[in-house]
Amino acid sequence: MEVFLQQCVNAISLGGIYALLALGLAVVFSIVRLINFAHGEVMTIAGYAIWLALLSSVPVVAAIILGITVAMLASVAMERIAFRAMRGASVTSLLITSFAVSEIVKVLFQNGISARPVPIVLPAWMSGSINMGFLTISVMSLISIIVVAVSLVALSVILTRTTLGVAMRAAAEDFPVVRLVGIKANHVVALAFAISGALAGVAAVLWVAQRGSVDPLMGAAPVLKAFIATVLGGLGSLSGAVLGGFVVGAVEVFLQGYLPESVAPYREAISLSIIIGLLVLRPDGLWPAQNVNRS
Amino acid sequence: MLSVEGLVVRYGPIEAVRGIDFTVNRGEVFALLGANGAGKSSTLAAIAGLVKPFAGRITYDGKPVSGLPPETLSRAGIGLVPEGRRIFASLTVAENLWLGGAAHGSTAERQQLQKEMEERFPILGERARQKAGLLSGGEQQMLAIARALMARPKLLLLDEPSLGLAPQMVEKVFDLIAAMRKEGLTILLVEQNVPMSLQIADRGIVLANGHIVVSGTGVELLHNSDVTNAYLAA
Repeated sequence: MEVFLQQCVNAISLGGIYALLALGLAVVFSIVRLINFAHGEVMTIAGYAIWLALLSSVPVVAAIILGITVAMLASVAMERIAFRAMRGASVTSLLITSFAVSEIVKVLFQNGISARPVPIVLPAWMSGSINMGFLTISVMSLISIIVVAVSLVALSVILTRTTLGVAMRAAAEDFPVVRLVGIKANHVVALAFAISGALAGVAAVLWVAQRGSVDPLMGAAPVLKAFIATVLGGLGSLSGAVLGGFVVGAVEVFLQGYLPESVAPYREAISLSIIIGLLVLRPDGLWPAQNVNRS
Repeated sequence: MLSVEGLVVRYGPIEAVRGIDFTVNRGEVFALLGANGAGKSSTLAAIAGLVKPFAGRITYDGKPVSGLPPETLSRAGIGLVPEGRRIFASLTVAENLWLGGAAHGSTAERQQLQKEMEERFPILGERARQKAGLLSGGEQQMLAIARALMARPKLLLLDEPSLGLAPQMVEKVFDLIAAMRKEGLTILLVEQNVPMSLQIADRGIVLANGHIVVSGTGVELLHNSDVTNAYLAA
């Protein structure tokens, strides 16, 4: 029972990171139909920003805020430089553009800093654990869960209480009509990328804190999982992305915890098979977008 | 107020509008009639900035506006109620209205206007917190028009506002058009309900295959056998 609860905490904490990343992908996809494979690089950029800040003896909290801000700006800059020129292009063209952006950023870090991981040292209390009677929770897991919860609440406030947030939800449904009422398309798209980048930045902070290092390929693996999560949840659906993130995280953690050692090497294959199975049962995803009434 | 000269709209190799000219005067209801595929919706889309004209000139309030983006035209006072209503179904009725005025005026003005809309269309006030997708077709049409009015347009383009509505709802829509004209709004109306449109329209044109075939005042068109023929042939 204790082990099970422990695994639940781990599943929520890992799933939460996937949920943030998946949400970032879904927010952008729902509006500009771009599957942004450079999303992982936004995470990497945030990681290096934190590394650089700590190296320059910036206090930890400030370094974290800086990392998230840089991720947000990087995401908006990617849209300005690469994706805006491609607006209205086919999904395939957009996808290839995002691969190009992703490769360019990776190569810049490999050649500009190092292909090998650089260490990030966070305060000792972050790597400790809290004993709650029969349950021992690592501080990092607890922080992850709280941060994810706060981020999700903040996002839902933006989407329901601010004009541009409501416009974003409307744009996911019918972008031309949002422009018809006078709301500037570029503002809505920029907000989507800013939110997406900030979420990637938050995910990067949690990811880096758990692993203690940054490398040029850091974002690739978690964003791939997040992409699986968005498809599982229903491409373009925000609630689906969050649900998908938690499901992917849970499948990963529980397989890691309970799979016998002899089949452990097949963990990824088994987890992807489970997800394929879920998609066979629900081809539109677990929580599909309400109305994708565009061609 | 609005003048269209030599307007050509193309979708790839297909020419939807093939060089049409017309002028809409301030304060009038101008009807754009024609069978399906005659180029009516494409003309409205070009005026509202949803499609870029292939050729021709559109002048609004004395200024050239062809090819400007829809958000700029909306801010200049051109409102479009699109065909099929296209309300934001997953948003609440109140959110739909709010977005309609989001780019126009101060917050206080917008709140005031939203209250006026909810008084003018009581059903929208009653259903303010409901998802707009749950409204009936006629109620959605009222919402689409109210959403456009939230932007305080000077020129309102209405694309098939009575399409698919129950007869008493159709009457309500035409009553509304008459009321809006009385309030000084200039209206460019695309309709398939020819008799009702021509009774209310000051002037109008009939399109066929992207060309203007007849033009005249509402009464003239109502008694023109070519107009009836154009529709019987369709």
